[in-house]
Amino acid sequence: MFKKSFTFAFALLIVASMVLAACQPAQTTPTEAPVVEPTAAVEPTAAEVVPTEVPTPEVVQTTRKGGWLDEIVFSVVASDSALTQIGAGAIDIYANGLSSKDLPAIKDAGVSYSTSSGLYYDILYNPVGPEFTDGRLNPFSNRKIREATNWLFDRDYINQEVYAGGGLAKFFAITTQFPDYADLADVARKLESYYAYNFDKAKEVITAEMEGMGATLVDGKWMYKDAPVTLVYIIRNDSDGTRIPIGEYTAAQFEALGFTVDRQMKKGSEASPIWIGSDPVEGQWHLYTAAWSATVLDRDQSNIFQEMYLDSSAQGIPAFLDNVSDPEFKDLGDRLATADFATVEERHDMMARALELSLQDSLQVFLIDGKGYIPYVNGMVATSDLAAGIEGAQIYPYTLRFADQEGGTVRWATQDLFGEPWNPIAGSNWAFDQGAIRATQSGDIMYDPYTGLVWPLRIEKADVVVKEGLPVGKTLDWVTLEFAPEITVPADAWIDWDAANQVFVTVGEKNPEGLTALRKTTLTYPADMFETVKWHDGANLSVADFVFGMIMTFDRAKTESAIYDAQAEPGFLPFQENFRGFKIVSTQPLVIEYYSDTYTLDAELNIPLMFPTYTFAEGSWDTMAVANAAEAGGELAYSVDKALEKEIEQTSFIGGPSLEILAKYLDQAIADKTIPYAPTMSAYLTADEAVARYEALKAWYGEHNNFMVGTGPYFVDQAFLTEKTLTLKHFADYPDLADRWANFGEPKLATVELDGPGQVKIGEEVTFDVFVTFNGEPYAAAEIKQVKFLLYNAQNEIVKVAEAVAVEDGLYSVVLDAATTAALEAGSNKLEVAVVPFTVSQPTFTSVEFVTAP
Amino acid sequence: MTQDTQAGVLGVQKKKSTSAFTRVARFMGIRAITLFFTVVIGVYTTILIANMGGYVDTIMRNDIRERVNQRVAASTANQNISAETRRQMADELIALEEKRLGLNTPFAIRSFRYLTDALQLELGRAQNMVSDNGSRTVRNIILERLPATLLLMGTSQLFLFFFSVFIALTLSRAYGSFWDKMVITLSPTSAAPSWFYGIFFILLFAAVFKILPFGGMVDAPVPDNKFDYILNVLKHLILPASSLIISSLFLSIYNWRTFFLIYSSEDYVDMAKAKGLPSRDIERRYILRPTLPTIITNFALLVIGLWTGAIITETVFLWPGLGRTLFRAIGFFDTPVIVGSTIIYAYLLAITVFLLDFVYVLVDPRVKVGGGK
Repeated sequence: MFKKSFTFAFALLIVASMVLAACQPAQTTPTEAPVVEPTAAVEPTAAEVVPTEVPTPEVVQTTRKGGWLDEIVFSVVASDSALTQIGAGAIDIYANGLSSKDLPAIKDAGVSYSTSSGLYYDILYNPVGPEFTDGRLNPFSNRKIREATNWLFDRDYINQEVYAGGGLAKFFAITTQFPDYADLADVARKLESYYAYNFDKAKEVITAEMEGMGATLVDGKWMYKDAPVTLVYIIRNDSDGTRIPIGEYTAAQFEALGFTVDRQMKKGSEASPIWIGSDPVEGQWHLYTAAWSATVLDRDQSNIFQEMYLDSSAQGIPAFLDNVSDPEFKDLGDRLATADFATVEERHDMMARALELSLQDSLQVFLIDGKGYIPYVNGMVATSDLAAGIEGAQIYPYTLRFADQEGGTVRWATQDLFGEPWNPIAGSNWAFDQGAIRATQSGDIMYDPYTGLVWPLRIEKADVVVKEGLPVGKTLDWVTLEFAPEITVPADAWIDWDAANQVFVTVGEKNPEGLTALRKTTLTYPADMFETVKWHDGANLSVADFVFGMIMTFDRAKTESAIYDAQAEPGFLPFQENFRGFKIVSTQPLVIEYYSDTYTLDAELNIPLMFPTYTFAEGSWDTMAVANAAEAGGELAYSVDKALEKEIEQTSFIGGPSLEILAKYLDQAIADKTIPYAPTMSAYLTADEAVARYEALKAWYGEHNNFMVGTGPYFVDQAFLTEKTLTLKHFADYPDLADRWANFGEPKLATVELDGPGQVKIGEEVTFDVFVTFNGEPYAAAEIKQVKFLLYNAQNEIVKVAEAVAVEDGLYSVVLDAATTAALEAGSNKLEVAVVPFTVSQPTFTSVEFVTAP
Repeated sequence: MTQDTQAGVLGVQKKKSTSAFTRVARFMGIRAITLFFTVVIGVYTTILIANMGGYVDTIMRNDIRERVNQRVAASTANQNISAETRRQMADELIALEEKRLGLNTPFAIRSFRYLTDALQLELGRAQNMVSDNGSRTVRNIILERLPATLLLMGTSQLFLFFFSVFIALTLSRAYGSFWDKMVITLSPTSAAPSWFYGIFFILLFAAVFKILPFGGMVDAPVPDNKFDYILNVLKHLILPASSLIISSLFLSIYNWRTFFLIYSSEDYVDMAKAKGLPSRDIERRYILRPTLPTIITNFALLVIGLWTGAIITETVFLWPGLGRTLFRAIGFFDTPVIVGSTIIYAYLLAITVFLLDFVYVLVDPRVKVGGGK
């Protein structure tokens, strides 16, 4: 009896313990209330020149070169165990990041974290109609109904309920944390205020429009031609899963208006044949829970209106192509996309008007700017790009470290590794792979993770000349900007490549009548670069590496080439359309002129990349020559398309069957003393130099079993492809000190406080103090671009927009004169302030309420 | 007469032998053909299902269009490029991608090409997947995951099988004992799947006690020498293998114990017991032997079942096995990988079924090939 009871009790205990463990609630911490950050007015400004310095090291002094760490060890971890593993000390960082809904768990775990841009979510409408081919009504063919749905959705509610307050309410296609939003903050705030959640207003407008379209409301249900108006709603149930609650909420809002909603939960692969593949006029869908991503800090979103609303959109999706927009909006969007404006001020005005018109069009109603959260152990320093996070930040290998410590190992976990073969031309573009590859390469410039501008990494200086009248400005001192009435391309500049004879075609040969360009950029490299900069295999960087890169710009797209690849042609097309030539002016120091008809608004971003950093990794000329030989020999191909077509392996420098093939061609190159593209490269390379390079590469391969040779602060020591682990080690021969980029440790996001009287007498002058700090210290006035204020009256209408007055570092003053307060009625008013620093593109907003009385 | 009789006996023997040969040959031929057609039907059905009868083409076309358009939009943003150039660029890329994936050939034709290639074990190249070492050949994609799968599944399933049979055999002879009741009581624990135990074990041994790894096949960085590497892999094997074993152990023992119990209560076993034969002999000769065909069948199917891996358990432990590969292939609609994995399993199953008929004859004299008992 006892045994029976014991057995039963024992079994029950085991089962109960497992059930309890499994049923443990994921989180017990209550979510924080959403922080609704007020926005403020920022007037348009011309491109300003602010005194800036090349980043200088902060406190830390070191003699260490390259990266701070001895090793970075990469491994794969599932996102749902990332926080547990950090807590248990198994990993130091989960670089792939977690979504907004995980923010409470991250905070609860007590670990550090950085942020990045996540997906941004919206509803895309089918705009055709008013009727589909089968006679059903499409309410969303009516722009006013689409516009009214902006009032229908409570974005703050979605942010709180779905994203635990970790996202940002979004009304516009432009990204809320990017420079264009900061520039247009006053316009944006007004529009956000106007289109704030207002169910009654939405109902009023939609009711009027539906009746105008011939629909009737019967017993609370919209009817059209004796049938209920049923909205076919495609709701994505995959991805991060947050589009399900968004879909449910928005569907419920439509139902509250009297619509019948057919919720169709679908995976991306099931949804795309409907919203992309079907003809909109068939009416297979009315609305769709769309999401887009912004993974680079884009300083110029001029094209966004065309891309997200107009029939000329590069998205090329039928819903866009069939959208009939207001002619003014269409014209504005197309002109902005083609940079058809003369000044920055004109662009600002166009963007402001386009913002307004985009909400009237509302082919897409934007809801949330999602954010990614990258957790890591406390005590670690990790620079995060505002858009791309840590994994996507070019700068992270230079700053990643344990605070106040040189050396050590960071255990870097990510979502996956080795998603595709690694090669510089058409290799893996997975974020997790590029995160590792990024640490092995350097380059011409360093992208500022907080502003999207660039700093010189390897180049010494850049001189930009643009044609007069083009709206180009500059921010940083290290770049020069000049305007010229005409920019003539020298006749001896290279403009094309003769793949058959393996020589460059000069401008004089291709355009004997002469050629002009809209932009010329001259890059000057340090005089000692070819002595100080080394490849990981010990070889010195040489001018041949640059020339080889120039050749590769063209060769794969030329049908006469031994490595011709049809996959290279489409990308080559737009390049060729605007490229006007390059010229090596000098090799000691290396000076290169680059001519083009493309330009961007920032002079800093008009710098071409001439360093041998290809699209997907760096490559020394010798490594590339070996890979080219393997491709020409029909055994490997850079691109997957060609590999599949020829039924050969895709080139991989990191592992797999490619390695033996590459090694074979390397031996061949040594034996033949091969100078690749000899008719051109012979001018920059001797056979003995070539063999020395090949030998260095061979030794590297023998030691590390890979061909990933770069010039970055870390090198690939070991890669285990099936086990999915990778070890990068410190490259001691890297030329720069480890603290060169130390002041990019964290973004200088301003902390803003507003102080002033709670009660104001109407008709009397009043002053508010604005305290701007960073880490408790006053924010230097020289680093602040704007401090604007926005005054709201009791009806929540904006009555004044102006600039605060600088008093001293970290202190600004907002003065509301007697006339201004006299215009206010008795009641509760609001003052909002927007602070826009130069050092980070993200503005800080704050507000204070005060009461006015006679 | 004698000679005639002898000749007659020889003739009858020869006839019998010829007839046995014919019977076996006919049986083998018919069985081989039947199995082959079963494989053909099974594989073609897999092709149709994996491609949703051709609808996957539509999904892939739209997916390509979406990806290419976004790529073109991103690469040409804010460049002074005409809409026509951009469209041309997108159209060219779409055409290239569709060609690469074979979408320019009707699915009906492609489906038979998949089938004939598969039957000849020409596994070809994956459409979207890539092996860990960067290869797109289906053979490499499958083969590189095979060792990890065999290690995990082999360790757990073979242990589970032999341990279960051994314990069950003992329990069948100890009906109603404490341990017998214990196993019966614990058998419902198998209602929880292996991944459930996996998560439980991870929480306990990795997160709380920190004595075993969370997952993966080996530590990062990978140990330098082979001995340490093997020890490290074994350490990583403990939790996934344990979860697979624990999730099935008691039910498996219970099943086998019930199966053996039927044979244990046969009259000839009681007779043997009455004769005073040792328990070991009774188990081996009187219980185990008549059940051998069933045991062998189960074992053979278990061995080829190793091929399929354990999808969810491998995912929970990030174990680089075939189960995850197949799961990803289904997600990617990667027909060559799905078909490659299926055809190998189908051939293994067919060969096993074919061979088992002969094995039955060897272990059970009552069985005749092609002639029943």
